[in-house]
Amino acid sequence: MEKDILIVMQEDLERALQKRAEDRRWAMLIDTRKCVGCHACTIGCVSENKLPPKLYYRPVYEYERGKFPRVKRSWLPRPCMQCDRPPCVGACPVKGPDGATWKESKGIGSGIVPINYARCIGCGKCVTACPYQARTMDDGSFHTVGTPQLQGYEALSAFEYGRRLERKDKGLPVGKARKCHFCIHRLANGMLPQCITTCIGRAGYFGDESDPGSLIAQVKKGHKVQVLKKKLGTEPRVYYIADEKLEVIHG
Amino acid sequence: MADREERDLRPGMSRRRFLKTSAMAGCTALVASQLEFIHGVLARVEAAELTEMEAYELLRVDRNLHTACLNCNTGCGLKVKIIDGVIAKIDGNPYSPFTLHPHLSMAASPFKTPKVDGAICAKGQSAHQGAYDPYRIRKVLKRAGKRGEGKWISVPFQQAIDEIVNGGQLFHHVPGEEKRQVTGLKELYAMRDPQLFREMADDVTLIRSKKMTVAEFKLKHAADLHLLIDPNHPDFGPKNNQFIHCWGRIKGGRSDFARRFTDAFGTVNTHGNTTVCQGSLAFACKAMSEQYAGNGFADGRTFYWQADQEYAEYILFVGANLFEANFGPPNRTPRMTERLATGKLKVTVVDPRFTRLAAKAQRWVPIKPGTDAAFAMGMTRWILENKRFDATYLANANKAGATKDQEPTWSNASWLVKIDADGRPGAFLRASEIGLKPKEVRAGRDGKQYDFEYLVALRDGEPVAFDPNDTRLRVRGELFVDMVLKGEHGPVRVKSSLQLMLEESRKRTLAEYAAICGIEPGVIEAVAREFTSHGKKACVEIHRGAVQHTNGFYAASALMNLNLLVGNFDWKGGMIAPSTFNYDGSSNDRQPYSLKKHTPHTGTPFGLSVIRHGATYEESTLFAGYPAKRNWWPLSADVYQEILPSIAEAYPYPIKALFSYMGSPSYALPAGDKGIAALTDLERVPLYFASDITIGSTSMYADYVFPDLHFLERWEFQGSHPNMPLKVQPVRHPLIVSPNEVVKVFGEDQPISFETLWLALAEKLGLSGFGTEGFGPGLDLKTPEQFYWRLVANLAYDGREPVADAGHEEVGLFFDGHRHLPRSVMRIEQAGDLETIQLSKAIHILNRGGRFDPPEAAYDGDYAANRYGRLINLYQEKTALVKDAFTGKSFHGLPGYHPVADTLDRKPAALAKGYHLQLISQKDVRMTNSRTISNQYLSELVPENTLVVNAADGRRLGLKNGERVKVVSASNPRGEWDLGNGVKKPIVGRVQLSEGIRPGVVTFSHGHGLWATGATDMVIDGILIKGDPRRAGGVNANASMWLDPHLKNTCMLDKVGGSVSFYDTQVRLVKV
Repeated sequence: MEKDILIVMQEDLERALQKRAEDRRWAMLIDTRKCVGCHACTIGCVSENKLPPKLYYRPVYEYERGKFPRVKRSWLPRPCMQCDRPPCVGACPVKGPDGATWKESKGIGSGIVPINYARCIGCGKCVTACPYQARTMDDGSFHTVGTPQLQGYEALSAFEYGRRLERKDKGLPVGKARKCHFCIHRLANGMLPQCITTCIGRAGYFGDESDPGSLIAQVKKGHKVQVLKKKLGTEPRVYYIADEKLEVIHG
Repeated sequence: MADREERDLRPGMSRRRFLKTSAMAGCTALVASQLEFIHGVLARVEAAELTEMEAYELLRVDRNLHTACLNCNTGCGLKVKIIDGVIAKIDGNPYSPFTLHPHLSMAASPFKTPKVDGAICAKGQSAHQGAYDPYRIRKVLKRAGKRGEGKWISVPFQQAIDEIVNGGQLFHHVPGEEKRQVTGLKELYAMRDPQLFREMADDVTLIRSKKMTVAEFKLKHAADLHLLIDPNHPDFGPKNNQFIHCWGRIKGGRSDFARRFTDAFGTVNTHGNTTVCQGSLAFACKAMSEQYAGNGFADGRTFYWQADQEYAEYILFVGANLFEANFGPPNRTPRMTERLATGKLKVTVVDPRFTRLAAKAQRWVPIKPGTDAAFAMGMTRWILENKRFDATYLANANKAGATKDQEPTWSNASWLVKIDADGRPGAFLRASEIGLKPKEVRAGRDGKQYDFEYLVALRDGEPVAFDPNDTRLRVRGELFVDMVLKGEHGPVRVKSSLQLMLEESRKRTLAEYAAICGIEPGVIEAVAREFTSHGKKACVEIHRGAVQHTNGFYAASALMNLNLLVGNFDWKGGMIAPSTFNYDGSSNDRQPYSLKKHTPHTGTPFGLSVIRHGATYEESTLFAGYPAKRNWWPLSADVYQEILPSIAEAYPYPIKALFSYMGSPSYALPAGDKGIAALTDLERVPLYFASDITIGSTSMYADYVFPDLHFLERWEFQGSHPNMPLKVQPVRHPLIVSPNEVVKVFGEDQPISFETLWLALAEKLGLSGFGTEGFGPGLDLKTPEQFYWRLVANLAYDGREPVADAGHEEVGLFFDGHRHLPRSVMRIEQAGDLETIQLSKAIHILNRGGRFDPPEAAYDGDYAANRYGRLINLYQEKTALVKDAFTGKSFHGLPGYHPVADTLDRKPAALAKGYHLQLISQKDVRMTNSRTISNQYLSELVPENTLVVNAADGRRLGLKNGERVKVVSASNPRGEWDLGNGVKKPIVGRVQLSEGIRPGVVTFSHGHGLWATGATDMVIDGILIKGDPRRAGGVNANASMWLDPHLKNTCMLDKVGGSVSFYDTQVRLVKV
């Protein structure tokens, strides 16, 4: 009996973690043919990263095309593309070796575009610079604001970037830019990004695409993949398989 | 939070107690788990990876507890991650086949699984928000104003119990009710003598079969007539029946707990919600699964079959909303998406909406709602006329024939049915009627003798007598028979079941069927051809869309019969039945705490239920010609929409007390507002109490609301669903501390819960079966835990082999993982009756969130391993012998297309006039009915639902995207919910234009448009609690749905199968 691809990818991940950071290339692949638009990834990510209301690292967009009765309906999950040439990094005024956002080249998070909340000045320039709307400012609100009682689970710390951050009392990352980070904190522990593990259609793939034995590498090789807004030259690390030209709908 | 001392004391004590009695010794699991964790950290540091990443506390083995979800009714496995007693995160349980596919075997150690998450939907991901709902109630609330006014006072638990049991002038503080006397349960607990229950029940049976008159009954029971509801109608039963218990969602364990009380109390009135979901599907399949026993049919199962989606090559889904609902998205989606993408699975979707499933299908058939049976009959005609059916399968008249052909099931396609003078089919021919073979006297398993009549099929032109369950003598019958046989009392016209099916299908041409369905000619043939091109690996699966119509029972039967034509039942890739591990102890003798053996010595309830289910009008003392005032339901039960309107009309009798649990009929039912009218009627519902976690859209009308536990705080056995090929039994147990007030019942501290309420009522009433030695000799029943630990022990011992022992480390892990729970919840010493070994096995199950067969146990070669394996009725004799209580005509044993009609069989033309859009509804994967609005991650993602209409309709009607409109119908021309408290909530929502819906149809999704559950203000103990307007977003158009013109206070309904009509109403959208 075959394994669930979640287990296969986790085994791939274990293998990747044995490699040196510079030999690894984290990538995500989304097969939209298998996405049913359930938003489990969206909400799983909100809960995992303790995101405030209206802040989504992993929105899912729906598109309906055609005329009755010849209709098409598809969904596009859109995390941060972790671009190899990220426009957001260029837009950030806090530069240098201790900058607020950068293209990581070391450690578990190598290849990802992280944010150092402690250094972020909250100017929002990266938010407008991102062509994928992958960045959002944390306005400090909570889901149970306006109800009889703020609930304890919201005050628990998230584990983003392997740090314990508590948003209550305006702690970090309130007032800062926030974005998807491929769940580095889970990768470090041999777990797949949240959006991948909770995908009920098994539409998401994640792993070290430089490992030819990995599932993501094999799936990528076996299909024609697309990236979003290719012309911008951002070189995304998130690939798509789709029955349609995504450029046309999402360009 | 738990008392500090209790928290520290309990696990230590308990673990010591366990270790003391355990045969093994050694280090505790806590030490082991921490070592393992630290070892991992060290390895990472050596590998020069980021050390701070190890702060991911959710990975710790003692942080991960397993249970089953209850946002929707699927029961997907949840892995709940807890920090300092608070749920930080929820993922899928890797031991559950609903969330990982294939799932981990139970042999896998829970120490090895923390980093394996299964996949769950957005509702499961946000499940803890229901537990941490700021609007949850913690104390008993008593009504301080009029019903539904939203004014409450908190009262001591025992005071509320006293008042409910003893009655009195309970609401003298409410203006207008100063002198109103309420009857308490004590007075309704009138008949108590088991012997009297038995004698009266037997005599009522005689009255029903006209073997005893009411006068004779009254003479015989003169001394006890005061115990009856009405001595002139002994068939109503005792006054005990005037206590009604109803619910919307109850699962195993909890249902047994409630049943223990209601049986001991002696009421027949316990009613669930089936007909608001897919009742006519379940009751059609009950009719199809009735087994021939003696001289008639019995033992039909209330269930249905679904497609084995993982191995089918082709599935025709009719009104079956996969990927949104339908048991359930995390389970079925991963079994299909890869095969859909690669073309290995082909799907046709028959649905007026272009569903998420349709978006992945090869073909979408946007049928006119309510015409699904016409589609089925068109397919039937084509398949029969083109000989595309499995003739070998259909010819088998009995089990021996099926076995010979290696078919797990067989049908009655070849059985001969008697045709009356008017040409109507009735009962199957008995062999004795044509002098072929006389009846036999046989002895049943219980030793009782019964008459057995042989049935008849035709073989080589000659009638052959057979026993359908015969395992030796194979009988194969001719499929198409129409002839006259020589009977004992003259000639008998007979036809085979398949002949009847052919004739029924020939009532219309394929073109006529297509015209009824509003689809292009040729589609029916194309679908029928595809369906019959895959052998046994083709299925027709149906759900709500096909059956929540006035013709739902026949639609379900006609569609399900297509599966018989290809004989796909129990085949891998065919139609499969659900299979569960047993927890009530009735499966084998090793199970230590059989509920059957531990039944209290009480009477067995008898009499008519207030919804008149399982009874016929003609046999009742109320019979007064046709039409009956309301329907009778001999073929169905749990007829949700009957409860409140029947109570309002006191038909068949007035009630005195109502107790509702986890359900919201006023919100969830079509024309639910009419239920509100019943609830606010103090005369018809003199006492109403509810168990709920918030003030809900129905419990808001109660006199008392008792706080219940959230599903993450309590026990339950979830059961399974037909599409799950594996035998399973997901189990819930308390994972977090309830915020509810802790009270003392039977001397034991416990947070107020559904069970605690029953226990307290039992204690006050002195009901047997509860309290000291209430479970059985030496076995107390004073807390929920005592009950549920025993049931988990039963579960452990079901099957060929019991589950493994948890072992020393795992037992330690269990206590460590639950150390944040107080004594009053997770009192292991209350499992004291469990022997050490039983406890160990129970913990093995709880550590995995249930009992699940390993992945490889799903199939046995080309067959499903867990088989249905019996007769499946193509022709339904039992149905054909029932008379319609409104018209006096017989129901149809052979299903066909019957247009939408009211209870008097009239077409609803007058209601439809001037209303041009057909209103339907659906589930959205991000919401369930009335309870997910408290999951704020979801309500923020979907603040409102919409009224979806085709873009062409939008142009025609001048409607724009996002425009607010009111939904009006002939039954609700004002377009508002009358909440019965002075508030009229307009049925207003936003328009969404789409190409993905059939023109002429409008739909909305369930779960929005609430007026309670925190959506509106209320006053508790004089303090204003502001509602959260986010919870009131969107629209619920149920109140627009048609009322039956004859019943007037009830929605349109399927009088055969019980379903409510959700999709037959014509409406108009009026700009606001």
